[in-house]
Amino acid sequence: MQKRVIFRSKSLPYLLVLPQIVITLVFFFWPSYQALESSFFIEDAFGFSREWVGLRNYAELFADPGYLRSFRTTLIFGLSVAALALGMSLGLAVAANRVLRAAQVYRTLLIWPYAVAPALAGVIWYFLMNPSMGIVAYWLEGLGVEWNHYVNGDQALLLVVVAAAWKQVSYNFLFFLAGLQSIPKSLIEAAAIDRAGPIRRFWTITLPLLSPTTFFLLVVNLVYAFFDTFALIHATTEGGPADATSVLVFRVYNTGFIGQDYGSSAAQSVILMALVMGMTFIQFRYVERKVNY
Amino acid sequence: MATLNLNALGKTYPGGVTAASDVSAEISDGEFVVLVGPSGCGKSTILRMIAGLETITTGQLDIDGSRVNDREPGERDIAMVFQNYALYPHMSVRKNMEYGLKNEGLPKAQIAERISEAARTLRLEGYLDRKPRQLSGGQRQRVAMGRAIVRQPKVFLFDEPLSNLDAKLRTELRAELKALHHRLGATFIYVTHDQVEAMSLADRIIIMNAGRVEQIGTPMDLYLRPATRFVAEFIGSPSMNMLEGRIGADRASLSFDSAPPLSLRGDLPGVEGQRIALGVRPEHLDLAGDSAGRIDLSVRFVEQLGADTVVHGAVSGAEVPLAVRLAGVQRHETGTVLPLSYAPGNLHLFDADSGRRLEVEAG
Repeated sequence: MQKRVIFRSKSLPYLLVLPQIVITLVFFFWPSYQALESSFFIEDAFGFSREWVGLRNYAELFADPGYLRSFRTTLIFGLSVAALALGMSLGLAVAANRVLRAAQVYRTLLIWPYAVAPALAGVIWYFLMNPSMGIVAYWLEGLGVEWNHYVNGDQALLLVVVAAAWKQVSYNFLFFLAGLQSIPKSLIEAAAIDRAGPIRRFWTITLPLLSPTTFFLLVVNLVYAFFDTFALIHATTEGGPADATSVLVFRVYNTGFIGQDYGSSAAQSVILMALVMGMTFIQFRYVERKVNY
Repeated sequence: MATLNLNALGKTYPGGVTAASDVSAEISDGEFVVLVGPSGCGKSTILRMIAGLETITTGQLDIDGSRVNDREPGERDIAMVFQNYALYPHMSVRKNMEYGLKNEGLPKAQIAERISEAARTLRLEGYLDRKPRQLSGGQRQRVAMGRAIVRQPKVFLFDEPLSNLDAKLRTELRAELKALHHRLGATFIYVTHDQVEAMSLADRIIIMNAGRVEQIGTPMDLYLRPATRFVAEFIGSPSMNMLEGRIGADRASLSFDSAPPLSLRGDLPGVEGQRIALGVRPEHLDLAGDSAGRIDLSVRFVEQLGADTVVHGAVSGAEVPLAVRLAGVQRHETGTVLPLSYAPGNLHLFDADSGRRLEVEAG
């Protein structure tokens, strides 16, 4: 039952939503508009003058092999983070769902990484993996793997993927656990009576029934990997070596604040905004409906 | 086709709660056995132990003479129909029925054959490609039965399969179930809390209370000779009238705390002064033609059911509730007193403390 509140005065409801509207306008719409506007100009580094150039900033971006490489890096990065974070958290959630005793403690402990700030998470992994003093790097050396993410671009990418995924596992875990717990127990029991072993039950019953959760988390994780990992990359690899971990968000910062090319940076932001909007649309369109059944 | 042997089965949960204890029964091949009792009596636990969904903490379960305590549900050659249907929501009706057969590794042609046969029997032919959510409650329950039938198991287990359906559908499906059992000739074990379902379906009923078996017998055994006061009150609707009192000095009358003594023909069992409960079913009381009534009922309210009339009230002069079921449509005003008679053979006596049945020696 939805209870409708009727306001007698016409101005009161507007007054009540005003703070939210003001915040949205000042902190979201205004900067967005500024970015959109700047993307059509070329500005000198000190902000004294600017010149209208139309779509030239965009045209240059798409002609720049470095930018296109960033697109590719972002895609690899995003998909790897999502795959790793989803896989690990699903495994943990399945395990947690079987635990009867101390489940609450287990769950609480698994949520902790989510409370760690992205930059801090980056630093933790930076220390663990540091070629000269990191413990994990030391172990790897013992296994015969030469670890140096300052030199090896693939290893640098792997490092940020692992660090980013690690942080997202907690969030995914919570959703997967809730999803698993909402699957009626009798379905699993019926499958057991239908001669399906635990592994077959997982693939044919549990996983399909989790698909709405999985799809939702996939979108959330991709958005996270694409747009929320700046601090982490900034704290660990700073986009390097040789642009190997320079994902799109990081490039926005690099172009704007290091390269002082505000027009190009703004154009990159606009492209990112379009991407976010696209993914949000997909999420609303498909996640709201139940996937698969 | 199977016999089951429940040998002192018991279930105690890790927390120390005992759901069932010392449940023994022999179920023969092709029998329709109904486990009945109030909620929490342990009947579902017993069924789930037979299915292998709950571990058996004490006792032994044999299917066809071999111990199955430690076998997985899938290895017991059973099929189960759940109260909430438990259909796989992401699979079509056909896929739902196929699932178990595919897991068994049955050839495709045979699977198709079994499914079309089951669909024909259950009138589901037009629905094979639908998803469960596109079906009504009754259809879903038929799919659940279909999923069990195609497996051709030794034993069918039913866990309150009809309780989510409305009354009319329930009656229909009850008849279908009975026909199904007749056609398949398989062993059925059926759990319900509804005594009407139990009476109408069962070859034999196992009636449970507080984790223990109260009585095992045919529906008529339970109706005509209930072994305990619990069984007497559980079976039959409206339930049996119980008059509690003491055996009189002559052992042929029953004295109540606040009513004139009731004289009975024949000797009462037990000793003088023993507290007993005298039971008589509402349908076994009748209006006395003249003043020869044995019990007087003062009328409180009347339920007109069409085929018969149930008059509720109390024993005249005492606050002991009493109901009588009279044939046809009858009018009785609140406050009037009806003299009632009964045949002595229809009386049941129970020990008031233990609830055990006491045999009346006919005089």
